[in-house]
Amino acid sequence: MLRITLQILGLLAVLLGATIVTLKIKHQDGDGPSILFPGGALVSGELHEGPEPDWGFTDDVYVIELQLENPPTSRRIFVMESDGRLFVPSGYMRSFLGRLWKDWAFEADAGRSLAVARIDGVRYERRLVRVTDPEIVDGVAVKMAEKYAGGAQPDTVAQIERSIADGDTWIFELAPRDA
Amino acid sequence: MTTRHYLITMLAVTALWVVALLTVPPFARLVEQLMLWFLSTNAG
Repeated sequence: MLRITLQILGLLAVLLGATIVTLKIKHQDGDGPSILFPGGALVSGELHEGPEPDWGFTDDVYVIELQLENPPTSRRIFVMESDGRLFVPSGYMRSFLGRLWKDWAFEADAGRSLAVARIDGVRYERRLVRVTDPEIVDGVAVKMAEKYAGGAQPDTVAQIERSIADGDTWIFELAPRDA
Repeated sequence: MTTRHYLITMLAVTALWVVALLTVPPFARLVEQLMLWFLSTNAG
């Protein structure tokens, strides 16, 4: 019985490893990310030019694709509009998973902040600017709670604000490059 | 199962699994959804 159990566990471990390696290699140079694995540069889709859009339409968008220019990797990410500006979060920043998974946030915070966002098939050239101003964070936290946490109850918003203040969640504005 | 048979079975199953991940997009998406669910409930 023990032998069979160990054989099954061994097979599952090999399948998990094969899954991670296969999907990581499959998506790493693709046009955009998969659900879990980073992709390559966002190359397809109209490139937005001209005045800033009204970002209110992103209230109906669950995730967007975000690519750093250097290195040109992309991933899916939540998005919040607040006060006419666009923001993206990066959670788990103080956890082991965060240090492993959220390298883009550390890169952006270190100055490699030029990015391309693809929203509903349209690409926008942006610059990631980390936001810590409590006045701005308040509005972002409310929108984040409304969209992704079941509603903007005071406790939920406070929890998100605490997560940001503690450094577990980082908030970046997708600012215009010429700002 | 003897060790030899076990290793042959593991190799065959893994090969089929990898081919399915590469050639059946809905299967790959389902596997990723399951992995994401597991990570989301166990991260932090």
